[in-house]
Amino acid sequence: MSKELITLSHISKSFDGQLILDDLNLVIHENEFVTLLGPSGCGKTTTLRIIGGFETPDAGKVIFDGEDITALAPNKRQLNTVFQKYALFTHMDIAENIAFGLRIKNKTDQYIKDKISYALKLVNLEGYEHRMPDSLSGGQQQRIAIARAIVNEPKVLLLDEPLGALDLKLRQDMQYELIRLKKELGITFIYVTHDQEEALTMSDHIVVMNQGYIQQEGSPEDIYNEPENAFVADFIGDSNIITATMVRDELVRILGVEFACVDKGFGTEKPVDVVIRPEDVELVPRGQGQLAGVVTHIIFKGVHYEMEVQAGGFEWLVHSTKESPVGTEVDIRVDPFNIQVMNKPESEDEQALGVEDV
Amino acid sequence: MNSKTRPAEKIYMAVIFLFMYAPIVTLIVLSFNKSKSRAKWGGFTFQWYLNLVRDSEVLNAMANTLIIALIATVVSTLIGTAASVALTGMKRRTRSLIMGVTNIPMINADIVTGISLMLLFKVLHFDAGFVTVLIAHITFDIPYVMLSVLPRMKTISPSVYEAALDLGARPFFAFRKTILPDLAPSILSGALMAFTMSIDDFIITYFTKGSGFDTLSTKIYSEVKRGIRPEIYALSAIIFVAVLILLLLSDRMKAQTGKLASRARSAGNQKIKKIGAVIAVAAASIAIILMALTFGGVFSKKSTQVFVYNAGEYIDPDVIELFREETGIEVVYDEFESNEIMYAKVAADGAAYDVLCPSDYMIAKLIDNDMLMKLDWSELPNAQEYIGRQYYNSASAFDPANEYAVPYCWGTVGILYNKELVSAPVTSWDVLWDPQYKGEILMQDSIRDAFMVALARRGFSINSVNPDEISLATQDLIEQAPLVQAYVIDQVRDKMIGGEAAMGVIYSGEAIYTQRENENLDYVIPDEGSNVWIDAWVIPREARNAENALKWIDFLCRPEIALMNFEYITYSTPNTAAQEMIEDELIRNSKIAFPDEETLSRCDTYISLGEEGDRLYNEAWKKVKSAN
Repeated sequence: MSKELITLSHISKSFDGQLILDDLNLVIHENEFVTLLGPSGCGKTTTLRIIGGFETPDAGKVIFDGEDITALAPNKRQLNTVFQKYALFTHMDIAENIAFGLRIKNKTDQYIKDKISYALKLVNLEGYEHRMPDSLSGGQQQRIAIARAIVNEPKVLLLDEPLGALDLKLRQDMQYELIRLKKELGITFIYVTHDQEEALTMSDHIVVMNQGYIQQEGSPEDIYNEPENAFVADFIGDSNIITATMVRDELVRILGVEFACVDKGFGTEKPVDVVIRPEDVELVPRGQGQLAGVVTHIIFKGVHYEMEVQAGGFEWLVHSTKESPVGTEVDIRVDPFNIQVMNKPESEDEQALGVEDV
Repeated sequence: MNSKTRPAEKIYMAVIFLFMYAPIVTLIVLSFNKSKSRAKWGGFTFQWYLNLVRDSEVLNAMANTLIIALIATVVSTLIGTAASVALTGMKRRTRSLIMGVTNIPMINADIVTGISLMLLFKVLHFDAGFVTVLIAHITFDIPYVMLSVLPRMKTISPSVYEAALDLGARPFFAFRKTILPDLAPSILSGALMAFTMSIDDFIITYFTKGSGFDTLSTKIYSEVKRGIRPEIYALSAIIFVAVLILLLLSDRMKAQTGKLASRARSAGNQKIKKIGAVIAVAAASIAIILMALTFGGVFSKKSTQVFVYNAGEYIDPDVIELFREETGIEVVYDEFESNEIMYAKVAADGAAYDVLCPSDYMIAKLIDNDMLMKLDWSELPNAQEYIGRQYYNSASAFDPANEYAVPYCWGTVGILYNKELVSAPVTSWDVLWDPQYKGEILMQDSIRDAFMVALARRGFSINSVNPDEISLATQDLIEQAPLVQAYVIDQVRDKMIGGEAAMGVIYSGEAIYTQRENENLDYVIPDEGSNVWIDAWVIPREARNAENALKWIDFLCRPEIALMNFEYITYSTPNTAAQEMIEDELIRNSKIAFPDEETLSRCDTYISLGEEGDRLYNEAWKKVKSAN
């Protein structure tokens, strides 16, 4: 693994007596595309603003490249930020916007000129030098904001929900654009979003946050396939989260029926939560599966059908490319390696820490 | 449907505009009227505008107004903008609390703000004048700036500022480069608003200005007592046009702000900068030109001074200059608009003025409250020699031993009638009750004058406090009410000149020149007697420069000086030598200006009615008015 670039240690922050971050510890490595993912109010933006220097933590330290920068003003930090609402200087044209940071650093005119055309080329907006920001579309403005940040050659680019204000199609295009940029620039991206799909698409490393705590860290595959608790499972994609009992290693009783699984080490006759992704629930003709049920709802979603199946007293969410009309009597079947077993929170504290109780 | 409603809409709009602008159009038209009368068009003239330019007092007041407005605008714009920026960064609750507090000067009645500031300055021993007015103006201007800047500030995303910081800008540089350009139009519009408010203010200025300092509004108001000069119409017209232009600019500024928010506008921005620069340059140059005229007056404080407090328009300005030249005494000259206002000021600060010119009943009150100094008559040779004995006798009604007051101007109340419309010779107040003149009679809209007429008609004392006599007088006035065309104050002169009424109760000073404008008019003091009023110079007990005050009074008693003042003021002078010197035979022998001693002996001055008497008159007056 590459070198540690930013370390947040024991960061706490509260606003108006409300705790936003509580003893947060996070390490960000060089050249990673790290995404802070979580619902609004989870503390992800505050974390980013602490790294950017726009907020000072109540406790804890920010270490950047081995140096403590906790108290350093934002204008003295070697990182740049792309803001959610672009934050372009509306009374300057595009070239002046991009040159803003360079002029402060007293770069030569030629250097600035070269940088502007380089940056505009990088974000595919050549020839826009003398347009005013207001005359650009949202996506173009966001690309200018990125250009304005990267000409300063920061070691880290902070992106605060940069695609939040764009429409779906543009958002998807920009996701690929960002991945490409990241590869070309070879710098660290710290990206904040509440959109799990964005996070899964772009990131090398995802940090799932909720209520000021880090819930789980890992690669997109880890996070999706092996959620460590019900919150992560629920937040990342759709899930069936069911209370169950671990009978013994590799055998779990779900809704009164025993299912083979691959998890071990939970003990015997132990209450657990299991997560089964809707696309992992197979609907088979009556008699061929593990649990009998009836289809109660069906919606066509384009790529697949989304169905609800009443089985064993639980409403199962099922994704399938095959249509089963409402009222069809079916059986449910789940492969052992598609059952993810998780510890049940034992106290209310643990509950708050782990599970968003909806 | 649409086309049907349109004419109605247009008429409606026209009516609204008519009501809003008719008064101002009237004012502007009258400012070009050659005749001093409001009822008569005497031809077109620029005379009043030209007079204005030569009137150093008005120019001085104008300069004060502009300097105060400019400095107050700059300071309050800085403070207001900084406050708006700071407030935006605060928590909502703190912000609304502070906004509430800062808005108080705006919502508060001006009079409360004015009086509280006056008291504060007094407690802090600030000398009321330029500085206190300036502080007061800054105080009430700040909320207007904030009102304009704060909403704009709220729409500016802090992330623009943060982006600049992020790109390496220092905090102030970031503010200047990002937030300030976006705020500029609203700051300019707030500044224009503050400037307008500052020019516009009267009440707060009035209470904080102290003596010897006037802005345009206080200057104009002090002239109200004697009727407003046409020069003031001219001045008001100029102010109206100036304020109109400022408001239009301010509106444009706001419109630009709106446009800025929505689309590209580097051109618009340039335009705003240009407009701003033009305004700044224009305002600054006016200020610089006028500053030269005014600065001496604003800041100098010489040891040889006399603080004069006179009614508005009650002296020939050249007289002040002559006195200054001859004696070397600096005259700090202030004007009041009513005896009551004068009393309040002197009661609040007995040492503020060295010499005052109140009316008879008010002198009685000042004597009663031991607020006056006994005059050293040995220092007043002219007053002894030239002021007629009969006037000292009249004055003894309020100054029994002639110890305190030197008569300055006087007059009577009588009937002005139109000989063409009234056939029988007028000798009695009875004519005002003659049904054949129904709707042709004008009465004074003042308690004392109205009751004076009714009481005198029945042969009662014009200062009666006898409830039975008052009640009879009240009955009479109620009976008369259907015959009266209107209860008015100073329109009698205009209406009579214009032939709009057959007769009216009027002051002699107003009547003197009416014959020139309309030769059919005649003035009479009825046989039953009437009121004679006397305004006289007195010296407050706490006066700091009593010696200079005596010099001032005696100077005014010189015949040639008294004559100058008579010709300027046109109220009768008690200076017998001056009377002899009047060139215009018509005036010199005018029975209106100088009634014979026999007539004068039938007239009494008003004396204070006392609290009980005031109450009695007030109640009776209410009955009369409600009967109309």
